[in-house]
Amino acid sequence: MKVPVSWLKEYVELTLPLDELARRLVFTSCEVDRVVRRGVPDVDGNLGHFVVGKVLEAGKHPNADKLQLTKVDVGGGETRSIVCGAWNFGAGATVAVVAPGGVMPGGELRIEKRKLRGEMSEGMILSERELELGTDHAGIMVLADELEAGTPLADVLPLGDEILEIETLYNRPDLTAIYGIAREVAALTGAELKPPPGVDPPRHGDEPFSLQVDELDACPRFIARTFRDVTVGDSPAWLKARLTGAGMRPISNVVDITNYVMLALGSPLHAYDADTLRGGIVVRRARPGEELVTLDGTRRELDVRDLLIADHERAIGLAGVMGGENTEVSNATTSVVLETANFEPLTVIRSGERHRLRSEASTRWEKGVDPEAAELAARYASQLLAELAGARWTGETEVRAELPQPAPIAYRPGYADEAVGLEITEAEQRERLERLGFKVAGDWTVRVPSWRVRDVRRDVDVVEEVARFRLEDVPATLPRRQAMFGRLTHEQRLRRLVADVLVGAGLYEAYTYSLQHGDPDPNALELPEPLSSQQRVLRTTLATGLLGAAQHNLDAGNADIALFEIAHVYLPPGPVPEERWRLGGIVQGDFFRAKGIVEAVFEAVHVEPTWSRVDLGPELIVAAAVQSGWVGTYSPVLSLDGEWSAFELDLAELFELVPERIEYRDVITFPPLRQDLAFVVDETAPAGELMAAAREAAGDELREVRFLSDYRGEQIAPGKKSLAIAVVFQSPERTLTEDDATRLRAAIVKTLGERFGAELRS
Amino acid sequence: MDSLAAVDWTAYETQATAAIGAALADSELEDARVHWLGRKSELALALRGVRDKESGMLLNGIRGRLEEAVQHREQELRRLAYQHAAERGVDVTIPGTPVKRGRLHLLTQIRREIEDIFLGLGYEVWDGAEVSTVWENFDALNTDAGHPSRSTLDTFYLDDDTILRTQTSPDQIRAMMTRKPPIYMVSPGRVYRRDTPDATHSPTFQQVECLAVDRGITLADLRGTVLQYFRLLFGPEREVRMRTSYFPFTEPSVEFDVTCFLCDGAGCAVCKHSGWIEMGGAGWVDPDVFRNVDLDPEEWQGFAFGFGIERIAMLRHGLPDLRAFWENDIRVLEQF
Ligand SMILES: [Zn+2]
Repeated sequence: MKVPVSWLKEYVELTLPLDELARRLVFTSCEVDRVVRRGVPDVDGNLGHFVVGKVLEAGKHPNADKLQLTKVDVGGGETRSIVCGAWNFGAGATVAVVAPGGVMPGGELRIEKRKLRGEMSEGMILSERELELGTDHAGIMVLADELEAGTPLADVLPLGDEILEIETLYNRPDLTAIYGIAREVAALTGAELKPPPGVDPPRHGDEPFSLQVDELDACPRFIARTFRDVTVGDSPAWLKARLTGAGMRPISNVVDITNYVMLALGSPLHAYDADTLRGGIVVRRARPGEELVTLDGTRRELDVRDLLIADHERAIGLAGVMGGENTEVSNATTSVVLETANFEPLTVIRSGERHRLRSEASTRWEKGVDPEAAELAARYASQLLAELAGARWTGETEVRAELPQPAPIAYRPGYADEAVGLEITEAEQRERLERLGFKVAGDWTVRVPSWRVRDVRRDVDVVEEVARFRLEDVPATLPRRQAMFGRLTHEQRLRRLVADVLVGAGLYEAYTYSLQHGDPDPNALELPEPLSSQQRVLRTTLATGLLGAAQHNLDAGNADIALFEIAHVYLPPGPVPEERWRLGGIVQGDFFRAKGIVEAVFEAVHVEPTWSRVDLGPELIVAAAVQSGWVGTYSPVLSLDGEWSAFELDLAELFELVPERIEYRDVITFPPLRQDLAFVVDETAPAGELMAAAREAAGDELREVRFLSDYRGEQIAPGKKSLAIAVVFQSPERTLTEDDATRLRAAIVKTLGERFGAELRS
Repeated sequence: MDSLAAVDWTAYETQATAAIGAALADSELEDARVHWLGRKSELALALRGVRDKESGMLLNGIRGRLEEAVQHREQELRRLAYQHAAERGVDVTIPGTPVKRGRLHLLTQIRREIEDIFLGLGYEVWDGAEVSTVWENFDALNTDAGHPSRSTLDTFYLDDDTILRTQTSPDQIRAMMTRKPPIYMVSPGRVYRRDTPDATHSPTFQQVECLAVDRGITLADLRGTVLQYFRLLFGPEREVRMRTSYFPFTEPSVEFDVTCFLCDGAGCAVCKHSGWIEMGGAGWVDPDVFRNVDLDPEEWQGFAFGFGIERIAMLRHGLPDLRAFWENDIRVLEQF
């Protein structure tokens, strides 16, 4: 919200420099994005260059058809010749003039004396927009004739203002009103808050008006005031300047008044052309098939859940969101029905969502507006309609629900100290609360003002009201611990270990999205309304994202790509899937590169991997299962260039296999015996199984068995291969002899011969 | 027997020892070894023909000494080679043999740093689920029915009751429902919002939630904890400030800023010339949240905060675009 400071000053005196006030408000009330000066810069006497002028002569520029050449009396007996591009005035007009040397709004442009098409121009006649007083640029501003030439323009026009640009918190709808901000400033600085603006104008008669509210829950209050003899026209400069400063566009006096009062008091209003109303006003839900053209010119099909303002025949407004074109105030309007109402947030929120439509009004209703403000708004708008549009107030009808009276809060000032950890005196608390409009009884029973009842309902909410003014003073302490200590869980430590092992093995850690374009599991959970087709399925595997990351690196021209990720997968069925920590990896290279990495992980967590061939679908030409996951090599048909292998392990499953403690094994007392053994065996016999069988055959005295080579070709019969392994025999109890070695080797040879038909090569 | 008699073994050993000692290169040493000790050497042949213990001892003694001499000369040659190279001058500026090393993702590095800070302060690290019930993510956290964060425009719904969590705060609820206070926990993890990706928005990003529940916890404890946190992350000179804010599940609610570590508060582009950098929301746990999880707010008090992890990474390392975290370009990953 943009807050013109001159407006704020109408309600409260500013006793702090503006920058300091802005700094303090940031702590206590709302974010202040910035403080900006708008309009004519007020530095180095610049305002003195802007004066009222009387046009003495005006005629066509001798050398340019589109320009006027004028002589303007600028007071003090001085006359200036000024070239001007506008034609909406002539001799005798009273105008706004800037003399050479004057700096225009924005601070960039300095007006200089110069020749325009051969004629000297000593200044400029100004338009509304040039002065940032409005948006009109059709012609120059024509001022009231009674103004004297030479009068400082700053005395008759709001030439400049400072604007506080603030962001209002969700729980502070009262700060979407200038008056509400003034109240906050008063509570902060101790300055006096003036009473809210608005005094009813004289009432002319008691015109009856038909008003019916069918939905009191959604619209607990509706005041309709009627006005006659309304003259629709331009708003005065001060009003336009205020609205422009607050970021709204001036339209006409009647509409501007409704916007002005909304900004001042926070309760949105709407004006209808009374002569276009068919019968009175009904607040009701939309009927099936009903339509409305809103003020933005859009034809909208209404939903039966939409709350409408209707007359006796048709919809005339989407309640709390936007009025209808059919009853819009125009220049021909002479009678007005003014609506000041109250709408419940949810109704407005849902209508806004359905119609993808938000407005200055709806953003206020969405946060919850004080129902009491409707009355203040009606009063202030009536005053301005009488003053600025010559309107006669002729009648009022009101429908209201019984507004719930919030229960008083039993408060204890000590609670603030307990919550904040800072002593705030009772006197300070009482004064602050009262300045904010709370009524505090002697026994600390607190009554909440109507504009805060949605937010302040409990004693802890009252704590915030006093605490927020002291946030700068809160000390920095640490909790006084009574129990608890910090630690990673076993699983968390193992996750870190696995990541570190992979980094040491040369892999880079990747973060890929949980939502993917597709998933191999047809039951993977899909978002009913994804943000894009690229992110629509909750993954059941990390492989999809890693493939994407590999592709990205390939496209970037990177070489030797090896990536891993440790993250969740989401296993169906829903609605709440099972989330599991997975380790996934992708590497440029063959199956054994990936397998070696997985073996390093297993080794790090002291689990002996068991491998078997497995079919994981056509995408993986080589694939092996291992405890808790798989390793595979992608088929070359994949779009990725080159040879790529991948792996994925379920970490919870893997960590379940991790031994609780590692027991020391003696390595030095008795010496080991090493032997290399080579077997001729069928080509199809898996090395892993042979090695496992060898271990089984030799028992505990076989300390280590290691793969050496896998050879086919010369000297080996077709269909056979030579498999070489290294074995280490060692006993924890004695020195093994050559005889022991012979015995153990024989046991291995026998078992491999029986189980695999393997023959020992001599 | 003949060969044993025909050879002067003392001379043999003397000559062999001299030849071995005179070798000036590995190849010469190998030649000498083959000649005097090899399978076809006189010594080897004689050993094969040994029939009596005495000769065996003599010849084996010679073999042992010569083998030792070879080993000795080998070491000497190596030492000489190094000495020689050193005299020539080794260019020690030539890079060493490369060791291939990967990297932890920057976000993991920061996440661990955060975890370690809180482990040091006596907190446990919590692993929270990302798919949440609407109750955990909104209702139990006091979020009213009209709050915009509930909108399908802001939140990914799986069905009417199930969403991708929009914040790490549902972990507060889960922690309080499964643990007896005192609770000191941090929960880092992914959260999801319907934001169109750009330099500073991502539909997936990471937060770290912090929750302390104990007797007598105050807003001052929150401030002290956050101060420690930012000093450990951004340097010991940092200060923090609390501004009023609103969150449904804390009361009072505050927003934390930290003094800019680039300009030390003087004002620069990173802090938008304010000297302060916005870090995230926090507050005193709302008593109704305690009631929602059957804890008595008369007995237990707490504070909570939820700060972005990417934001810390971007600020501290000057990354301009959030999307870089998810592209996993090795040229970016290897910088950290
Ligand atoms: Zn800075």
